[in-house]
Amino acid sequence: MEFTFIVALVIALALIFDFTNGFHDTANAMATPIATGAMKPKVAVGVAAVLNLVGAFLSTEVARTVSGGIIKEGDGGIQITPEMIFAGLIGAIVWNLITWLRGLPSSSSHALFGGLIGATIIGVGAQAVAYDVVLAKVILPALIAPITVGIVAYLATRLAYAITRRDAGKPDGRGGFRYAQIFSSSLVALSHGTNDAQKTMGVITLTLIAGGYQAVGSGPQFWVVACCALAIAIGTYTGGWRIILTMGRGLTEIKPAQGFAAETSTAATILASSHLGFALSTTQVASGSVIGSGLGRRGSTVRWGMAGQIALGWLLTLPASAIMGAFAAGLALLGPIGILLDILIGTGVVYVLFQWSKRDRVSHDNLHDIDDAGHVVKIRKTPRKPSRKDRSKVAL
Amino acid sequence: MIDWAAFLVVAVAALVSSAIVVSLYSLGLRLLTTAGRIPMVEPAEFTGAITVLSAARAAKDAKRARKARKANPLTQGQKRLAQYAGYFCFALCGLIVLYGVYLIVPALHK
Repeated sequence: MEFTFIVALVIALALIFDFTNGFHDTANAMATPIATGAMKPKVAVGVAAVLNLVGAFLSTEVARTVSGGIIKEGDGGIQITPEMIFAGLIGAIVWNLITWLRGLPSSSSHALFGGLIGATIIGVGAQAVAYDVVLAKVILPALIAPITVGIVAYLATRLAYAITRRDAGKPDGRGGFRYAQIFSSSLVALSHGTNDAQKTMGVITLTLIAGGYQAVGSGPQFWVVACCALAIAIGTYTGGWRIILTMGRGLTEIKPAQGFAAETSTAATILASSHLGFALSTTQVASGSVIGSGLGRRGSTVRWGMAGQIALGWLLTLPASAIMGAFAAGLALLGPIGILLDILIGTGVVYVLFQWSKRDRVSHDNLHDIDDAGHVVKIRKTPRKPSRKDRSKVAL
Repeated sequence: MIDWAAFLVVAVAALVSSAIVVSLYSLGLRLLTTAGRIPMVEPAEFTGAITVLSAARAAKDAKRARKARKANPLTQGQKRLAQYAGYFCFALCGLIVLYGVYLIVPALHK
């Protein structure tokens, strides 16, 4: 009876995590088209939500392999218990909410892995974590991916501007990139759906297998796929507006050509990497390409202070969620009382964070008139009238 | 254990494919502009991050585009050629994006 309860609890938490994953990652695909006005904010998040929903049904490849490599489990290895997954999920959700409150685009998958690793170290022991796999599949890609994609986006932006360059004063048709942005950002959203909803499916399936409700080695069941797809779609539609603001305006000013170049680089990198069998964090790839495209346009500036904050957030993601996961696991080891304590503390923290977020609400309806969101984005409240010089080089 | 070759392959593949897509689309825009059919896409919602165009400014831009169209030195045939070449570029771009969708869906290639 008690075991059934913990399994149900893990499934509920996994879906909550999926929801936070969705609204945390809306920005990856939709921050740039919203920033350039290619799509209205509400339309953009709607498109992203539908594509995430569709994407989640398209593939279950990632779900079959998730967390299998990082925590040594299965025959002969160490069995991971539902309690540990439960604790790991609490760590991941809390860290996702903290970074959302700060408007930081951080990787949800790193939060999930961090939480699971922390919980496993406390619950099972440090030897249960495959550190070489963590280094090769999580830490190194996280260092290399943003830089690589930044270079790709930089070159793509230079190309786009070089090809469409015309004499000053003549219309260059760069506004046409807005149409392209709709497609490129949709591609990013779709690939996100095929990747990120999978992680939750994988966790739920792992729990069901560990609980003996499902045959070892079988794929996720249909109801699991449907629930995860729905959770991530609802999360995406809710829209992490704080992160959209950071990605769309906090890092650099984005013009249509840049947005298109950035999204294309993001989509190409994610597709190439997942096709070759290792998953990159969509968030890190997307942030890297926004910075790269900011460097690629003449006369644009990258706010390195903001970029530094984001990078610091990435560095902290794994250890911070691991510590929270470990703490939750420590409590969970006390038995049912510990799990109850976990739930109470977790709910309390989420409630406090949510109340905190109300102090400076960011949403689609006030997205464009906030002049100081999270004290990091500096923009004018009323746009300055363009000077004669600016007007002559305005991109249509 | 650490698969450096895979990183390199991903980097090169991403670089080549996004360079091709961006170049094709830019070329398409360039050709349309050359043909005198300048794409005028206004932002769906005015944001603080872009240069804000008032209605008057948008009208002015449209007028400028019309003027540029009139002053085009190309013959009618050349213009048409440029226009169709532009559409061809967009079509190629679309095909590459469809290939991307094909890669996303494992049911299609496995």
